[in-house]
Amino acid sequence: MPETPLRCAMLALNSVGYRSLALGYLRAYAESDRKLAGRVAFQTLDLEVGLDPWWVAWRVLGLEPDVLGISVTCWNARAVYDVCRLVGAVRPECAIVLGGPEVGPIAAEVLAGHPEVHAVVRGEGEVTFAELLRAICAGGKAWRVDGLCVRKGQEIVSTPDRGLIEDLDSIPSPHLAGLIEALDGGAYLETYRGCPHRCAYCFEGKGYGRIRSFSDARIAAEIDALAGAPHVGSFSFIDPVFNLTPERLRTLCGMLVPHAAAGLRLHTIEVDIERIDDESAGLLRDAGVASVETGPQTVGKAALETCHRPFHADRFARGVEALRGAGISCECDLIVGIPGDDAYDFLAGLRLCLSLDPGVVQSSTLHVLPGTELWERAAELGLEFDREPPHEVIATSGVTFRDLRRAEVLASAVQRAYRARL
Amino acid sequence: MIDFIDVAVGTGGGVACERCHGSAMPAEYMATSELLGLITRAVADSRTVPGPNLALTGPEPFGHPDLPSLVAAAVDAGVSRLRIDTDASALRSQDNAAGVLAAGVRHFRFSLLGGSAGLHDVLAGAPGALDATLTGLDVLRGEVRAQGVTSCLSALVPICRHNLHDLPAIAAVAVEAGANAVLLRVDDPGCDLAAAVPWMTAACDTGVVNGVWAEIEGVPFCLAPDHALHVSDVLRARSGAKAPACRDCRLDELCGGGPVDASGDLLAVLAPPARAGDLAGAVSRARGSVGHDA
Ligand code: SF4
Ligand code: SF4
Repeated sequence: MPETPLRCAMLALNSVGYRSLALGYLRAYAESDRKLAGRVAFQTLDLEVGLDPWWVAWRVLGLEPDVLGISVTCWNARAVYDVCRLVGAVRPECAIVLGGPEVGPIAAEVLAGHPEVHAVVRGEGEVTFAELLRAICAGGKAWRVDGLCVRKGQEIVSTPDRGLIEDLDSIPSPHLAGLIEALDGGAYLETYRGCPHRCAYCFEGKGYGRIRSFSDARIAAEIDALAGAPHVGSFSFIDPVFNLTPERLRTLCGMLVPHAAAGLRLHTIEVDIERIDDESAGLLRDAGVASVETGPQTVGKAALETCHRPFHADRFARGVEALRGAGISCECDLIVGIPGDDAYDFLAGLRLCLSLDPGVVQSSTLHVLPGTELWERAAELGLEFDREPPHEVIATSGVTFRDLRRAEVLASAVQRAYRARL
Repeated sequence: MIDFIDVAVGTGGGVACERCHGSAMPAEYMATSELLGLITRAVADSRTVPGPNLALTGPEPFGHPDLPSLVAAAVDAGVSRLRIDTDASALRSQDNAAGVLAAGVRHFRFSLLGGSAGLHDVLAGAPGALDATLTGLDVLRGEVRAQGVTSCLSALVPICRHNLHDLPAIAAVAVEAGANAVLLRVDDPGCDLAAAVPWMTAACDTGVVNGVWAEIEGVPFCLAPDHALHVSDVLRARSGAKAPACRDCRLDELCGGGPVDASGDLLAVLAPPARAGDLAGAVSRARGSVGHDA
C-alpha cells in the first residue's frame, strides 16, 4: 500500500498585497527533491500579517498538517508566535518549523521560549528544510540535519552550521514553477543574495555573506515570466543594491528594456545612490524604473561610523538630481535612533532629505535585529531596545525615550506634509 | 520644515481672540487682478525647496468671490503645495470641499482658540464657530477619502492669557478633528511665558501621545529644555544671531540666542541637553532682566 504523503503546510504572514518569495523558494526546492517526490504534499498559505491569529490558526488547522513551516520576520513574529501557540495546543503532533532572519540567529532562545515549536532553521533554509522533511519522512532524527536548532527529547540541540548554497540556480524558480501568484505591484525578484556592505543594523550583509548571483539566463527567464504574467504591469526587485556594478546594471537593464517599452514599470528598486550618475539614471529610466529607494538612513558622523556606512552629501545630492532628471522618484530613508545620533542629527537628516526634494522621504524607527552587529554590541553602545519583536529601539545614550517618540511623530507629520502636494 | 509663502487675500476678518485684539475689522478683499499678480510672482520667485508652496491667508479665503481663480492661478504658476487658512465653516458644503480638493488644494490650516465651544466661541466672538469648524473639517475628511488624495490638516492655536490653561484640551480637539500637526503660536505680548510654557508643553505631550506633532512658536528654547524639539526655532533652524523669541534677552554671554549657527547647521549651543537645562535655570534666575518675561 502506498504510504500517505506527509502533509506540509507552509505559512507566511505578508504585508498587504505581497506574496512570500521565501516560501516559494522553500517549496520549489523541496518539490524538486527526488527523495521527497510523492512523499510530501505541500500547501502554501500566503496570508496577510494583520489577520487575527485565531483565524490564521483556523486556516492552518483546516489543512491538518503534519509539518507547519513558517517564515518569520521581525514584523510578523508576534503574530506567528500566537499562531504557533494555538496550532500547538490543538494539534501537538504537528511539527512546527520556523525559519527566517528573525529566528535563525537566536534559534535556541526561540525554542526555549516557545515550547510548541519543534525546530528552527538557521541561515539559508532551502536545503535544510528539504533535508528536515526527508528526516521526518524517515521517522525522525532531525538532529542529524545540519543548519538546525531542534529538540531532542528535553534538550535543545544545535546541529553544525550549513554552508551557503553555492549555486543559486540549484533552487528552482518559484516564479517559473508557478508557485507564487503574480500580483501586480506585489511581486518581486531576487537576482543575487548577500550584500557588499556591512551596515551594523542589517542582517543581509552579515548573515548572508559574500555575493552569489543567479545566472543571467535564470534572471532573464524570471523577468520574462513576471513581465508576461496577465495583469502584471509593475513589480520590484529585492536586491539590496540594484546597481551593484556598472556592468551588472547594464545587463539587468538590457533585459528589462523591451518590457519597459511595452509599459512595464519597476518600483522601489534599492540603489546605492552615490554611484548614480546621469548615465545610470538613464539606464534605469529606460528599464522602466519609476521609483528607487535609498538612504541616507542617517547623516550623523558618529552614527555613520558606528554603522560602517559611507555618506557623502554632495554625491548623494548628485544621485538624487540625476534620478530626478530622468523622471525617477527617489525615496530617501532615514532611521530614528541609530546609536551615535542625537535628536538633532535626525533633524539634520530630515532637513537634508527635504532640501533635495527627492519625491518621498520616509523615516522608520531602528529595529535592533537578531544577529546584527547592533544586537551584539547593544550594551557597549548604550542601546536599549525591546527584546521582543519587532525589537524597536527604546532609548540610546544620545536620545531619550521621549525624544525618540517625538522624533517618530515629527517625522510622520513632516512626511505627510511633504507628500500632500500636486 | 516645509515652508509656505503667505499671500493674504485681503485685510480684516480672521479668527483671533476678541479679548486681546477686540472685534475683528470687517474683511476687505483685495481685487482679483491684483491677487493674481501677487500669486504668480510669489510662485515664480520662490526658491524654497521643497516647493514652491503657497498659503492663501488673511480674512477667510472662502469669502473671496474669486477663490477658484486664485487657486487656479497658483496651480498654473506651478505651485507644489497649496494651503488655505480657513475657519473651515465653508467646507460644510460638500461642493466646496470637493471643489477645493479637485482644484489642487492639499493643505488646510484652521484656528482653534479653545478646547470647548464655550471658550472658542467666546474668544472668537462668534457663537457656533467651533461647531461650524469641526463640521466643516468632518466633511473635508470625507471628501479626502472619497477622492483618495493625500492632504495635510494643521491647527493653528494663537496663545494668549485667555486660553493658555486650555491648551492641552485644544490639542485634544485638534487631534480629534484629524489634524496632522498643531502650531501653538504666542499671540499675546503680555503673556507670562514662564507660566505659559507648562501648558504649552502639556499640549505638545497630548499631541505626541496621540501621534500628532505640535510645535511651539514664540518661545525661546531655553524655557522648554525638555521639549526643545517642539520649539520652532530649533525645528526650523533659521539662521541669524537671535531667534525672534529671544529678542530682548540679555543672556547673550550664556547663549547665542538661537540653536543655529550662521551656516544653518545645528547646533553648537543646544545640542547637549544639559546645557539647555543650565540656560533654563539661568533664565529663571535672571527673569527680571529677560525681556520676554515682561
Ligand atoms: S542595509 Fe542595505 S546596504 Fe546595508 S548591509 Fe543591509 S542590505 Fe546591505
Ligand atoms: S537664554 Fe536668551 S538668547 Fe538664549 S534661548 Fe533663552 S531667551 Fe534666547
